[in-house]
Amino acid sequence: MAINRFLFASVFVCCLVATCDGIVSFNSLKPTLTVTATHKGGVLKAGVDNVTVTWMLDPSVPAGTDSSYKTIKVKLCYAPVSQVDRGWRKTKDDLSKDKTCSHKIVAKPYVAGGAVATATWTVQRDVPTAKYFVRAYAHDAADMEVAYGQTTSADKKTNLFDIEAVTGRHVSLDIASVCFSAFSVVSLFGFFFLERRKTKIAEAK
Amino acid sequence: MEISHGSYNQKKFALPVDSEHKATEFRLFSAAAPHMRAFHLSWISFFACFVSTFAAPPLLPIIRDNLDLTATDIGNAGIAAVSGAVFARIAMGTACDLFGPRLASATLTLLTAPAVYCTSIADSPISFLLVRFFTGFSLATFVSTQFWMSSLFSGRVVGTANGVAGGWGNLGGGATQLIMPLVFDLIQNIGATKFTAWRIAFFIPALFQTLSAYGIFFLGQDLPDGNYSELHKSGEKHKDNFAQVFHHAVTNYRGWILALTYGYCFGVELTIDNIIAQYFYDRFNPGGGMLSDFMAKRFGMRGRLWTLWVVQTLGGVFCIILGQVGSLGVSVAVMLVFSVFVQAACGLTFGVVPFVSRRSLGIISGMTGGGGNVGAVLTQVIFFRGSRYSTETGLTLMGVMMICCTLLITLIYFPQWGGMFCGPSSKGKTTEEDYYMSEWSSSEREKGFHRASLKFSENSRSERGRKIGSAATPIDGTPNTYV
Repeated sequence: MAINRFLFASVFVCCLVATCDGIVSFNSLKPTLTVTATHKGGVLKAGVDNVTVTWMLDPSVPAGTDSSYKTIKVKLCYAPVSQVDRGWRKTKDDLSKDKTCSHKIVAKPYVAGGAVATATWTVQRDVPTAKYFVRAYAHDAADMEVAYGQTTSADKKTNLFDIEAVTGRHVSLDIASVCFSAFSVVSLFGFFFLERRKTKIAEAK
Repeated sequence: MEISHGSYNQKKFALPVDSEHKATEFRLFSAAAPHMRAFHLSWISFFACFVSTFAAPPLLPIIRDNLDLTATDIGNAGIAAVSGAVFARIAMGTACDLFGPRLASATLTLLTAPAVYCTSIADSPISFLLVRFFTGFSLATFVSTQFWMSSLFSGRVVGTANGVAGGWGNLGGGATQLIMPLVFDLIQNIGATKFTAWRIAFFIPALFQTLSAYGIFFLGQDLPDGNYSELHKSGEKHKDNFAQVFHHAVTNYRGWILALTYGYCFGVELTIDNIIAQYFYDRFNPGGGMLSDFMAKRFGMRGRLWTLWVVQTLGGVFCIILGQVGSLGVSVAVMLVFSVFVQAACGLTFGVVPFVSRRSLGIISGMTGGGGNVGAVLTQVIFFRGSRYSTETGLTLMGVMMICCTLLITLIYFPQWGGMFCGPSSKGKTTEEDYYMSEWSSSEREKGFHRASLKFSENSRSERGRKIGSAATPIDGTPNTYV
């Protein structure tokens, strides 16, 4: 009896803890950071071009807002047009399930005092072809998101930039594919020729 | 004369054989030519084709970023991969009837290898769909595998041979889920970037497929007595006429029924693989084939038919249950039970197929195999595309459709053995010879083209089951060469 009550109580407490634990909603975050991203213009090539990102605390927010900020994580995020019909890039309010910002640009400790921080990042070779914007999250000491800032408007339609992925193809691969394919077909005709010769020999005997 | 012929027969083969020189035993750990060697060659090449056809899904997270695919593109490519084989399987059946399984399967395997090599150079959603479509044609080697086993193994063990060959081949679809990511990781560690590494990885299944085709050509043999081309030339095997073979296949209603019902066991398997997270499991349980042979020993063809109907219907019932359960643990358990029944139904189907027609075995096998793929395409298009039905509703409806389509098995009737509800016909032409001879016209019989079918008829008497088969059957007027 006592065991039953103990078990029930511990399960109940665990459930309570689970509800408290870690579900950060994006809608609960305030856009207190001002973020900009500059690049060479036009379509950026993965593996080649750079993006320079700057971020700072918005001067118009009340003092003390940034008291809990410990780290700033800057990420590359998909624009809505690149999320259409691609469930693996879906935007969800629960940040632990949100897939909008899957590419890390840089993570730096937060420096209070309103100074502008910058970082230059070469677009990585595994970034797919899509339209992007940049978003920075402010994390507290428990590594939970507490604020954010992004280079685009709230509806994510302005100030987007394009990145073109590497194809991954190489001339040597192309040549190898074509050669092996041709070899398969040629060896098939070789088989037919061999087969015909065998039956002709058997017939002649 | 006959005694020495008999002892020559005994010395020639490693396994015991019947009057058609088909093996009457199935010895898994032997590689003796021609029977067991053909078994190993055919299941390995079928395995290679499955590995190639389903090599893309485990690497999709990388491929979809490289080629900028949408979910629709991925779904279409998945449907394309299984739809190519629908007609390829029927064409393969025809090719086996006319040219023999050895040449037919080596040809198909070599002709589809370029599609796998060219997957490495795909650069858009369209090219991706095309390579998956053409690679999928290689799944038609299922038909040549079943045809080959049916040509080399007697009725006593044909279900087992078909089931094990098909089952182990199907394992390729599961094995590839482990093989491709491992190969990809290895290539990445050597130094290639992600978008190049997956391209290089595709050379592995392509090379495996090419080598298996070479193995079949150089080491395989169509029939116990030789290859089709030699036997055609020596006159021992009549080189058949396509129009006749085709006619006898499409006018045999049993072939159509089995094609449809196979759509609701194998087709359902393929569908489940595409929509439920893929994990490694044994797909085409050889148990189905062994069960078919076991039931045939006691109850003959009627036993095979009843068992097939019961097992496939139960598969449908578990599919309905799968769509209804809510918790993850229970649904995984139900899915395992469901897949055992579905897989067994596939094996049981190919315990019946070898007996539907002797002359047009290839096309009937092809139709049945193709029906499986049609079932996969239809089911995915009706229930699992877009957002009309939730996945759970789709599964329940698929189960209902399985049960309804499986009812058609009650209509299958063999005059010489009976059907599910009726015994063998008591009037007129009711022997095995009559059934298989009806595929040959009298002028063809005068020329002796029907001899192979005659031997098959005698050997298929085992489908009468134990009670009736033990009664002595009067020897037919047509002369045969074995006492």
